[in-house]
Amino acid sequence: MTSTSTVPPRATDEKRANKLLGGVALPVGILGLLIVGSLLSEQFLTTRNLTNVVINMSIVGIIVVGMTFVFIVRGLADLSVPAMVGIGALLALGLQPALGSVLAALVGVLAASLAGLINGLLIGYARLNPVITTLATGTIVLGVAQAAVGGVIVYGNDPELQAFLTGRLIGVPVIVLIFLAVALGGHLLLSRTTFGRWVYATGSNPEAARASAIPLQFTKGAAFWMTATLSGFSGVLLGLTLQTARPGVGAGYEFDAITAVVVGGVSLLGGFGSMPRALGGLLLVTLLSNIMVLNGIPTESQGLVMGSLIAAAVALDVYLRRRGGAS
Amino acid sequence: MITPSPTDTPPVLDMTGITKSFPGVKALTDVDLSVSAGEVHAIVGENGAGKSTLMKILAGVHGPDRGTIALDGEQVHFSSPLEAKAHGIGMVYQEINLVPDLSVAENIGLGDMPNSAGLVKRKALSQRAQEVLDQLGTRIDPQQLVGRLSVSQQQLVEIAKIYARQPRIMVLDEPTSSLSQHEAKALFSVVERMRAKGIAIIYISHRLREVLDISDRVTVLRDGRMIDCRPTAGLTPKEMITLMVGRDLDDVFPKREVEIGQPVLEVRELTRVGLFEDISLTVRAGEIVGLAGLVGAGRTEVARAIFGLDRFDSGSVLIDGAEVTVRSPKAAVRAGIALVPEDRKRDGVALSLTVKDNIALPVLDQVAAFGWVLRSQERRLAQKKAEDLYVSPPVIERTVATFSGGNQQKVVLAKWLATNPKVLILDEPTRGVDVGAKSDIHTIIGELAAEGVAVLMISSELPEVLAVSDRVYVLHEGRLTAELSRADANEESVMTAATGEVAAP
Amino acid sequence: MKSLRKVFEVPAVLTLIHYRVVLILVATVLLSVSFVPGLTEFRTLSLSLDRAATLGLVAVGLTVVLLLGKLDLSVGSILALSGIAAIALQPQLGQFGAAAAGVLVGLLAGILNGFLVVVLQINSLVATLASMIFLRALCHFLTDSNPISGNDPLFGLAVSRALGGSFSLRTFIFLLAIILLFLWLTYTVSGRHTYAVGSNEDAATASGIRSGAYVFGAFVFSGLMSGIAGVMQSLATNTGSPVFGSTIALTAIAAVVIGGTRLEGGRGSALGTLGGVLVLAAITTTLEYESVASYYQNIVTGTILLILILLDRIASDSPRSALSLSSLLPTRAQKRSPAP
Repeated sequence: MTSTSTVPPRATDEKRANKLLGGVALPVGILGLLIVGSLLSEQFLTTRNLTNVVINMSIVGIIVVGMTFVFIVRGLADLSVPAMVGIGALLALGLQPALGSVLAALVGVLAASLAGLINGLLIGYARLNPVITTLATGTIVLGVAQAAVGGVIVYGNDPELQAFLTGRLIGVPVIVLIFLAVALGGHLLLSRTTFGRWVYATGSNPEAARASAIPLQFTKGAAFWMTATLSGFSGVLLGLTLQTARPGVGAGYEFDAITAVVVGGVSLLGGFGSMPRALGGLLLVTLLSNIMVLNGIPTESQGLVMGSLIAAAVALDVYLRRRGGAS
Repeated sequence: MITPSPTDTPPVLDMTGITKSFPGVKALTDVDLSVSAGEVHAIVGENGAGKSTLMKILAGVHGPDRGTIALDGEQVHFSSPLEAKAHGIGMVYQEINLVPDLSVAENIGLGDMPNSAGLVKRKALSQRAQEVLDQLGTRIDPQQLVGRLSVSQQQLVEIAKIYARQPRIMVLDEPTSSLSQHEAKALFSVVERMRAKGIAIIYISHRLREVLDISDRVTVLRDGRMIDCRPTAGLTPKEMITLMVGRDLDDVFPKREVEIGQPVLEVRELTRVGLFEDISLTVRAGEIVGLAGLVGAGRTEVARAIFGLDRFDSGSVLIDGAEVTVRSPKAAVRAGIALVPEDRKRDGVALSLTVKDNIALPVLDQVAAFGWVLRSQERRLAQKKAEDLYVSPPVIERTVATFSGGNQQKVVLAKWLATNPKVLILDEPTRGVDVGAKSDIHTIIGELAAEGVAVLMISSELPEVLAVSDRVYVLHEGRLTAELSRADANEESVMTAATGEVAAP
Repeated sequence: MKSLRKVFEVPAVLTLIHYRVVLILVATVLLSVSFVPGLTEFRTLSLSLDRAATLGLVAVGLTVVLLLGKLDLSVGSILALSGIAAIALQPQLGQFGAAAAGVLVGLLAGILNGFLVVVLQINSLVATLASMIFLRALCHFLTDSNPISGNDPLFGLAVSRALGGSFSLRTFIFLLAIILLFLWLTYTVSGRHTYAVGSNEDAATASGIRSGAYVFGAFVFSGLMSGIAGVMQSLATNTGSPVFGSTIALTAIAAVVIGGTRLEGGRGSALGTLGGVLVLAAITTTLEYESVASYYQNIVTGTILLILILLDRIASDSPRSALSLSSLLPTRAQKRSPAP
């Protein structure tokens, strides 16, 4: 009554091996870094240092959560991240005198969210190319943010809030707690909700998703809206912890986020990947950076390793996919 | 016009004893084909008779398992399409493959532009294009961008592009399938002119009238075998149909007797300008209705419109006697309609997702509370549907990409059955599916009808339509040309209506 | 929505959409002329062109990459690295030798990109992101993150100084590049093939065109142009800096897209890119003259970019009403249909 699968056993074995390699590479890489790091520097495996690593992860990690959705939904990338971080930070600090800290922070997030809504409408509903659209909206948003606060460095005036954010709650840095909450929320949204399923289906095969009664445009738009909102939130946190913000404060965050997601093995082709993978990629990148700093390699030169890492990670991914035969 | 007698001149192309198997299927068995210069040689046969495999072997896409190809009496062996091209074999496929952003002239010259030191000789280029277009008797402006031409004009450019390479043999694979009758006429005059230039033309078409009008000889293929090759003169459509379908119906498709109930799906005067017109049909509970017609007759378009995937201009869709607005698949699903689409890889499955995720896709609402997916319910539903449909192996956590075509198709079926549809539309449900899975799918369709689902099935495989259906509608060029009861429907009657040999009932 | 769609079917509106690049250019230039007194004077014009030349050279290279439907984010890093080479190698190779070495560096970086995209099959966005990060870090590594200076500040002056009261060398090179690009894309076989590959890679490959080679070549060309731009920039300022060009990739992409090149490939032109660069230059000149803060400039640029890609989407959404005037005349189009 049943027909057998026509995939020859040899190929299945190979596929399984490839899948194993693909799934194992990341944890092995992280473990390897932990070992190498502890061998190279005594300070590495200290609580203090590892705490620093996690704190460093947190700000960009919140953006990574959003960028993961953009990647899986086959939205290429969101280049408006720096602007959203910028507007979040600038407004959160700049509006403090007028609105008070909490309200100013809220306005910061809302402004980024509103800009994200425009991204979502243009990319999801008007089907514009995401790269050029986010480039354009990013340019505009950053300009507006600067105009709003006068285009200079903004200083905050709320040391209490700063102390709270940089302090600890039940022994864990508050900023890390916030990141973990966002990451968990993002993970659950992606893996356990109807919307998450829509995201995967849209990225995997938009035509089939549409034929399966899935709101394609909404799903794609929402991914960009989320990324912008989270970037704005991240910017607010950044501004509040530093109590100072320049317009360029978010520069490079888009590339950091993309790097983490790509190293985590989430495909730019969509439909594949997960939050743990992306955050694993982020952890790997952050650990690598930390080890280099501890060994006296300046941040600016670390790109030699990071750039190679991105290329190697994606090349491996492409190679495995091609050998695995999955189109 | 002089029609050279094909048998007098030595053949340009001589294919003998061509045999080709694919894993699980014997596509061609011992097929001979010889074509002379200045001859239009038609190849006819049902879908799956082996026409396109034979042409792919000629084009160097596949190598034959056995058999020889000789050009002008000299044996040749093609290891790639480029090699076949270099030997003067020109292929015009159904799908248009041109560069929309370049001009007609540039497309005709693409890959072989007249130049001096890398500079395009634009005058020579457009002159050559103009010459080719003139020779073919078309009036397309060589400077126009291809992207701005109509489909029929693009089709002619495609032919002109091949013609410009001065092929000895030109293969036209269903060149008129996307053309109106008027546009097809233009194409015939092009074929006439090419014949007059002494090109050997192989013409593949489902439209028997065309074949009769245009060809000198006809080769009939059936089930991968050559049935006959005879001069067209004196042939009637009826004879040709008999040759094409003349096989005994075997009992591979057992038909269950089911009590037929009230009308569930009613389509009234559904029209989309240019694609289909005035389509009215009814499917009752427990009834399996076939929608037959040739490729390009508008069957898929009608199905997609009923399901809300494509828009329609006028007409209405009723479920259980009440009109429903099906402006989106979502609305259609809510109304109880499901569509198993024609193109599985494009519209059916998300290959990189698991079987479970695919099956649950249209019914997430059922297994979720406030947007939160209840995973045990989801798993249970997917597992049950996968087993109901004999998905093999029934491992729902594997990605669909790792399954065979037949099992992928079952996943698509499972996905749509999970919605508990009142109306199930199946568009080519067994295309590209192996024999085992095919019989599974037929059994499932029978079971569904027994449960009272109204089934509308599109299939290009006539025996399948006849064996499974209680009633058959036949489409020809976007219009219904026949409605046949199970008793009246046979290969001849359906084929006759599908080729437009009868006026609308 | 429907009534909105109707608006875009009005012939006059379509014509406006068709000539959008020219319209925007004329509008911005007119605006500049009315705001900036003396812009029409040759000296001022020459100056503002000189300042746009670096961006322009990078945009020329990117035009080809975008025509093929790819992206190159690494142009800024290549620009900085080439500049550093052109300055740092002066003691060893002499001024001209070092400049040549700088250009060569750009070429090699382009080969690296081509390798990543064509041979390793990495998506161009990610591949050039990787090389962007890598090459930028290389700049910092080589210079210890400090700008370096050349030994003869006068040598480079020729690059940016108006030659014989006309344009600067840099401007000449940019204009020459535009003209050559125009001639190449329009009149040569390989130029036409570039459009073919960008528009429908399958059809191009089926016609015997080696599509991969064209993509590879495009990245090499883009690297070369960025290299030339970087060398010019560094000679003009007598500085090799690891932070040069850090935002130029996105601005140059904007210029190319404003010039009507489609990100998905297959459509675009050298003259369009010239238009795009001039639009940005006109905006910059005007707003700087009016001493409007640079962020207003961002708002204006971004808005123009957004409007243009929206118009492009609208234009390509209605194929019947496509971009030519001739297609607006149905009777003539019908006459064109094949003879019966």
